[in-house]
This record gives sequence, structure tokens and C-alpha cells, in this order.
Amino acid sequence: MAGIRDLGVGIGWRSEIDLTVERLPGVDFVEVVAENLHIGHLPESVTLLLERGVPVLPHAVSLSLGSADQVDLRRVEHLGAVAEAVGAPMVSDHVCFVRAGGLDSGHLMPVPRTRDALDVLVANVRLAQRNLPVPLALENVAALLEWPDGELSEGQFLAELVERTDCWLLVDVANLYANARNIGTDPQRFLDEIPLERLAYVHVAGGEQHGDIYHDTHAHAVLPEVLEVLDELCSRVAPPGVLLERDDNYPSDTEIAGELAAIRAVVDKHRD
Amino acid sequence: MTEIVNESSLSSARERLAARQAELLNALLANGPAPTGFDEQRLGVERRALLSKRRGIVRMLGPEVADELGDRFRLLFDAYAAEYPRRAGSRAREDAAAFEEWCRACGELSEKRKARWKFWQSN
Repeated sequence: MAGIRDLGVGIGWRSEIDLTVERLPGVDFVEVVAENLHIGHLPESVTLLLERGVPVLPHAVSLSLGSADQVDLRRVEHLGAVAEAVGAPMVSDHVCFVRAGGLDSGHLMPVPRTRDALDVLVANVRLAQRNLPVPLALENVAALLEWPDGELSEGQFLAELVERTDCWLLVDVANLYANARNIGTDPQRFLDEIPLERLAYVHVAGGEQHGDIYHDTHAHAVLPEVLEVLDELCSRVAPPGVLLERDDNYPSDTEIAGELAAIRAVVDKHRD
Repeated sequence: MTEIVNESSLSSARERLAARQAELLNALLANGPAPTGFDEQRLGVERRALLSKRRGIVRMLGPEVADELGDRFRLLFDAYAAEYPRRAGSRAREDAAAFEEWCRACGELSEKRKARWKFWQSN
């Protein structure tokens, strides 16, 4: 896999489960939310993991690279500083916007899949890349609504983003599942259309069905259907890494270990 | 790397996108009119999801306030949120502090806990 070392199976480090992450067997790498870390005051638990040689990858949620506005370089600079503080090989954020018209949505909003939005995203990503010390990977988000006039499929949109910026992709299979349920995206077609050789790693997360809507909560168990999307992805490419995200309603260590084992089983099934 | 989009066409693209994104967030966060072409029912789903996420964060950052308000927390928070959508650049902690102030001004919270917030905000 060109340029990305094998990361294995990992979990999102959160302060609420710091001890769990430290003692769980089979945590090959972790992600930290960049906005929650302060340079010069890394949490003790993150330092401990670094001392053990566990790769720590900063994941950002606030660059708002899909915003019509110029990128806020202070946010990019912070992300870069976190990457340097933890010696990360790569950083990531999302293909989304969170700020517009002076308001903050508080959550990752999908961008319209139009030429305008793609041109702006490409310009923003290039500016961010020029100001980051390591490569940038971008993640597909879960959408609850569709912009009315998409000109490209989500896979085509991301493929063109990669072609024009040379960024990496962080594919969230739970978001693919959510979009299949909620807005009718076809995960197979998505996987056919994206350049899999630019896959940095994969996210897996749990969620919950409420009526006719699937909510990507990161606070419930991972559905078997989400692991099926992971299985489909692994049948096409060996992902350099797969990471479980759990952000709330934390279960026992045993349950988390079970979810990591289930992820590893899917990945290993395709490695012969 | 392929073509570079020229600056003036990029700046027009930014303007068009800015208007559309602002219109959507205004509808979702500030009771603005529904933008053309969106499914109204889905706008409602998204509006509730964003409100629920914001409410959950404020509850997590100020559990004592949520506890004191009890059953009134949700209703009060939703009224506060409709009146004060989160501004770009604001922090979640500021949102939690502003909600507490708002409740206090409405007479929904007792006065004595104010000093603790000052301590909290100074961090």
C-alpha cells in the first residue's frame, strides 16, 4: 500500500475510556480528536500509548473544509501542531461544513455534490495541505438529508477530490451504511467509484434505528450490517487500518473488546 | 494534480455556495424558511438531530444545571436554542454558560450557584 504503513485495528481514544484503551489487548493504533488536545499538555494516557509505540492519529472535526469561506488557518495550524506533538504519520478531517452565514451547526453537514462545492473544497483542501506537516485524509460523512441538485455521486465527488488534491481517504463504513438507509446511496457503487489505492484507513461505529431513520450515534453497538459493508470493502482491498469509534454511552471493556475482535475477524478473513 | 480553477471563477463559486449553505443553516438552526428543493420532512429530522446533539453537549458540560432543571431542562433548552443559534467561532462551554445565564434571567435557576460558573469559565 503506497505510502501508508499497516496500522492494524484501533479505537478512538477518549478521556472517558482512557484506562480501557490502555488495557485492552489488540489496540494497534488510536485516534485522538485534535480539538480536544492542548499542545504541551497531552493527556498522560496518550503519552503512555506513545511510549508503548502505539501510533496516535489526530482526527479533526472543525476545519469545515467544505465551507464556502476560506479555511481558518489557526485551526489547521493546531491540527498540524498536534500531529507533530504525537509524531503522527497522517491527520484527518471530513468532507463537510460546520460553519456558514455566521452560524455553527455543531455537527458535520454534507456539502452539495456540485461543481461549485467541489471547486471550493479542492481550494480549501490544498490550502490546508500546504499548511500541514503530514498528509491529510478526508472522511465521508453520514447525511440525514440530500442537497437537491447533486451533479456527481458521492463516490465520483470523492474520486475527483483525490485526483485534484492528492489527499487520502478515510472511509467510514458506518456512514456508508447510514447513507444507504437514509438517502439511498449504494455502498457498492461508492466502493467501485473511489480510488481504493488512496485508502488511508477505515472507521467503524455503532448507531441506532429510529423509525425510518438510522442515526450514526457512536453510542450504540456496531450493527452486523455495518460489518457487512466492512466485509465488502475488505473483499476489494486490504485496508491499512480499521478503527472503532465510540463517543458516548460507553459499554464494558468486554463489549468493546468484542467489537474490536469482530472487526479483526472481518479483516483477517480476507488476508490469506 | 490537475487543473487550477481560476481565482474569479472560484470566488463566484464561493459566493454561490455561501448563500446556499447559509440558507440551509438558517433554516435548520434559526427557524429560517426551508430552502428550495429540500425534503421538508428531512429538514425536520436534521433540525431535531442538531438540536439534540447541542442539548446533549450542554447537558454534559453543565450536569448540575440539567439536574436542577430536571424535567424542565429539555423544554427550556429548546426555547433557548431557538432564540440563540450557536454563532460560528463560539465554544460549547460558552453555549453552556449562556444557557445557564439565560435560565437564571428567566428565574428558572436559583442564584447561589453563579460563582461556580465563574470559576469554571476561567479555566
